[in-house]
Amino acid sequence: MLLQAKHIDFSYGDEAIFDDFNLAVEHGERVVLKGESGGGKSTLMRLLLGFEVPGSGTLEYDGTPLNGKHLRQFRRECAWLPQDLNIGTGRVDEVILFPFRFKQSGNSMPDEEKILDILSDLGLDADILEKEFTDLSTGQRQRVGIALCILLDKPVLLLDEPTSALDEASKEKAAGHLFSDPDRTVLSTSHDPFWLERCDRIIDLDAESEHKQNGS
Amino acid sequence: MEIIQLSWLQLAFGFIILIIPAAILWWFNTGLTGKMFVATIRMTLQLLFVGYYLEYLFEYDNTWLNLAWIMVMVVVADFATIDRSDLKTTRSLVLPIFWATFIGIVLINLFFLELVIQLPNFLEAQYAIPITGMVLGNCLRSNVIGINEFYYNLKENNERYQFYLASGATRSEALYPFFQRALQKSANPTLAGMATIGLVSLPGMMTGQILSGSSPMTAIQYQIMIMLAIFSGTILSVFLAIIFCNRTVFFDNDVLDKSIFKE
Repeated sequence: MLLQAKHIDFSYGDEAIFDDFNLAVEHGERVVLKGESGGGKSTLMRLLLGFEVPGSGTLEYDGTPLNGKHLRQFRRECAWLPQDLNIGTGRVDEVILFPFRFKQSGNSMPDEEKILDILSDLGLDADILEKEFTDLSTGQRQRVGIALCILLDKPVLLLDEPTSALDEASKEKAAGHLFSDPDRTVLSTSHDPFWLERCDRIIDLDAESEHKQNGS
Repeated sequence: MEIIQLSWLQLAFGFIILIIPAAILWWFNTGLTGKMFVATIRMTLQLLFVGYYLEYLFEYDNTWLNLAWIMVMVVVADFATIDRSDLKTTRSLVLPIFWATFIGIVLINLFFLELVIQLPNFLEAQYAIPITGMVLGNCLRSNVIGINEFYYNLKENNERYQFYLASGATRSEALYPFFQRALQKSANPTLAGMATIGLVSLPGMMTGQILSGSSPMTAIQYQIMIMLAIFSGTILSVFLAIIFCNRTVFFDNDVLDKSIFKE
């Protein structure tokens, strides 16, 4: 298993989010989480990334618990599209290029042609690069975020509602890029039938008993 | 030209001018009239206390006594910085800010007093105490702006910071934009002051020197030196304060300890 959550308990204050939650994602698998808002879909990604700490249970990447150096290794090997899309500041070109300046990340700087091709596929014109990121609409921000995830070219993708603000044509192009590598493991959250259809496995977080029985 | 000595009666007479700001603040119902009187009384008592203490310090001019006084000034500045910065007075902030301010002050004093002015004893009271006081006062203001900006910007844009971490950044790399903005915010007031000094305002130190009989050119030379000391000291102390605090306010998973914020 590439990603595993074992017997996770987690709560925000008095509100229990996970109670003995289990999840296993295989290498190259495309798994989508669905469920009501506040049901823990985004929280699970934040737990995997080490931004929240479970009350009990363990999270593993490639068989090793996600903490210390291994957590940082995991962060280097994944790309995350957060739901609120607060992913940068300044001009859009600066937002896109900033993560490629992280020295130990292993991110290789993309050339301009590649950036423009991907933006174009996602329905964005080249002049968007000169705009302030904070001036963009939610849909434009989401496309820039997806473009960045594609450009980072990581073996693991954590995508929080990746198609919520995209039109049908852009969804097709985005999925084409994001699912282009069969070895890439994708864990996502979505309610979009378009996205659900293209994933290997759907996990309904509202059906808690299913998780416990199936380990997924 | 000899300076005209002020009598206590003359000084007391000077307080009458407060009738004007008090009346304006009272008329517009600002709620600041009481604060103005408290602040005036505090200012007067603190300066009288310092005046008596400095007379004593200058008379004895003992290196260790001077150093102790500088330490006291840094400790007061340390607590005042945290108190004004909307952060909690926790051990994880008090010690780093103390060391940042202390190291900043010592380095600036060593450079200007030892290397530029070339005093026989760089902790000579006549120079070390007033220059430390001026640099420290500005460091306090800049530290408040810089630390507030850094941690509140980080709190408000936590997801952006975490996005950088999740894209493979080290903690320092992910904090870089927040650091950049904190430095910009804290440097701007001093830079604006430097750009207009002499044109819009005559600074206090220079005015004091001229009043006490120094030639305007000597006063200006000292003022230029003190402006360099203030600017360098403020940037250095903000830089060190954020670096030192960052060693204590993050958990192992790079998550900011939010208990530092006043809620």
